[in-house]
Amino acid sequence: MNDTVANGPEPDSARPAGRRPRPGLLARIWAGRWDYMYIAPALIVMLLVIAYPIYYTVVLSFFKTPPSLAMSDRIFVGMDNYVNLLKSKSFHQVTINTFVWTVWSTFFAVVLGFGAALVLNREFIGRGILRGVLLIPYVISAVAASYVWRWIYHSDFGVLGSILFRMGFIEDKLNLLDNVDRVLPALIVVNVWKEFPFAMIMILAGLQTVPEQLLRAARVDGASPLNQFIHVTLPHLKGVLIITILLLFVANLNHFTIPWIMTGGGPAGASDIWITQIYQIAFGRIRFGIASAYSVILFIVMVVIGYFYVKALTAGDDRRRPS
Amino acid sequence: MSVRRRGGGWSLTGWIFLVFLLLYAALPMVWMLITSVQSQFAAIQYPPEFIPSNPTLEQYARLLSPSSEIGGQFLRYMWNSIYVSTLTTIFGVGVAVPAAYAFSRFRFPGRNALFFSVLFRNMFPAVVFLMPLFIMMRWFGLVNTHASLVITYLTFGLPLSIWLLKGFYDNIPVELEQAARIDGCTRFQAFWMIVMPLSTPGIIATAIFSFITAWNEYVYALTFLNSDEKLTLPVGLQRFFTEYATNWPGLMAASFIMSVPVVVMFLVLQKYFVRALTEGAVKA
Repeated sequence: MNDTVANGPEPDSARPAGRRPRPGLLARIWAGRWDYMYIAPALIVMLLVIAYPIYYTVVLSFFKTPPSLAMSDRIFVGMDNYVNLLKSKSFHQVTINTFVWTVWSTFFAVVLGFGAALVLNREFIGRGILRGVLLIPYVISAVAASYVWRWIYHSDFGVLGSILFRMGFIEDKLNLLDNVDRVLPALIVVNVWKEFPFAMIMILAGLQTVPEQLLRAARVDGASPLNQFIHVTLPHLKGVLIITILLLFVANLNHFTIPWIMTGGGPAGASDIWITQIYQIAFGRIRFGIASAYSVILFIVMVVIGYFYVKALTAGDDRRRPS
Repeated sequence: MSVRRRGGGWSLTGWIFLVFLLLYAALPMVWMLITSVQSQFAAIQYPPEFIPSNPTLEQYARLLSPSSEIGGQFLRYMWNSIYVSTLTTIFGVGVAVPAAYAFSRFRFPGRNALFFSVLFRNMFPAVVFLMPLFIMMRWFGLVNTHASLVITYLTFGLPLSIWLLKGFYDNIPVELEQAARIDGCTRFQAFWMIVMPLSTPGIIATAIFSFITAWNEYVYALTFLNSDEKLTLPVGLQRFFTEYATNWPGLMAASFIMSVPVVVMFLVLQKYFVRALTEGAVKA
């Protein structure tokens, strides 16, 4: 565009000049002014609903907020919220729970999803139907799923307890959700049920990009199926696996509905994770300040993970699309 | 798309694994359906009946009849959910389409930064936004309105929608637009008349995704809504549970009705949905 030529490395010196090595930043922004129109609606909504709240959470984390939530009455307390939080005993317990919940949920979802993807990557009659059935847990509402599993786990009338009893695995009533040691594993089973289809579909999509020629070449060279898998398929899947694991990890770290509906964090905080705890502090006890400090900590963890996520995504982008 | 390996030597472990997976995935839903056609009394028998001896549609009839008390409530929740999800989908697609097109086609300063900020949103926990948004909604007088939900869902759906649609636009050859430009179209006309029709599958995929996400969303609805006539289905279901605590068949029937629209939508448009999930992570 000839009318927007600027000069020199300093972006703000829009002197008209004869030579045009590279337009300055402002000039390029001006040249692209109509392009921004396309993203303006998205940008405005995101600034309002995302950027401002992040800023506001950080601000609130330094204040003691009144239960009335009249923010004119808030009191500045500096780092007190953070100090009290990190010192509290419940924080440590909840952090351990969060870790157990996130790591095991992700691990089992990926393992089961991988297995399912390998099964679905073969051709057989009913493959499409099977894929559909396996995906249903992922699309139904987490609230409905939580109630169904609560009913299955029910200590008096639950179908799971009854089956296990008849098969002789247990002597007495099955008590899962009221037992401090069993509640978290029981919730993880539900979460994995809901999430493994996601891992499955991601990995399946990855498997379908493995070039058949490579596998055939490996076969001709005498590689066993296991070796084909380890040396051809797995390296090809690396990118997809990293992204799937990261996405699931984040989703689990943020998962609210299943623990909240099934146990509400109980019994005795045995299934409390960061998210449910933050919600409880914020909307149960109406302490927005402490809950904000909690959120900021969680937020920092997410930013670190997010960094790796973007790195993993862009690595794939550069490699595949040099244009 | 590569040629898939032929089935053939199915090992025993493979079969066992397959059966296990199928049971794990399907049985909870089967049990939901079985319980929902039992009478309240039959549901709390011990041991449970695996095949209901007296199946009844009484719970469904109650939930879906506008005249009964529960039915009136339930249908209202359902209507609220349809209303909120539809509006979210329409606005969401409307905002995402131009943005995704710009990200796919134009080179403007800040393009990469903007795009990654869009992606980065995926990483942020809903609860982090819950408190400030709640306070903001109070400032704007939007607490206990459906508008608060539509705005929130719209925003939180945007990153994925843009990401997904961009993938579709990347696959449409630029040459088509260039040809249209040569024939005298403006850039906007080229976008509107050439690219839009070609990206219909992408738009459908994005729309389904937004709809399902909005339909299932729970935590914002739980926080922003407080009066009974405004509740959406997920929160309404919870209200049911606290009010009619022992009516498990009723709860299962309500869960089933709530799952039907998303499961049907998903099964009919499975291809697009799968693409929606995997697009971006796996670019072929």
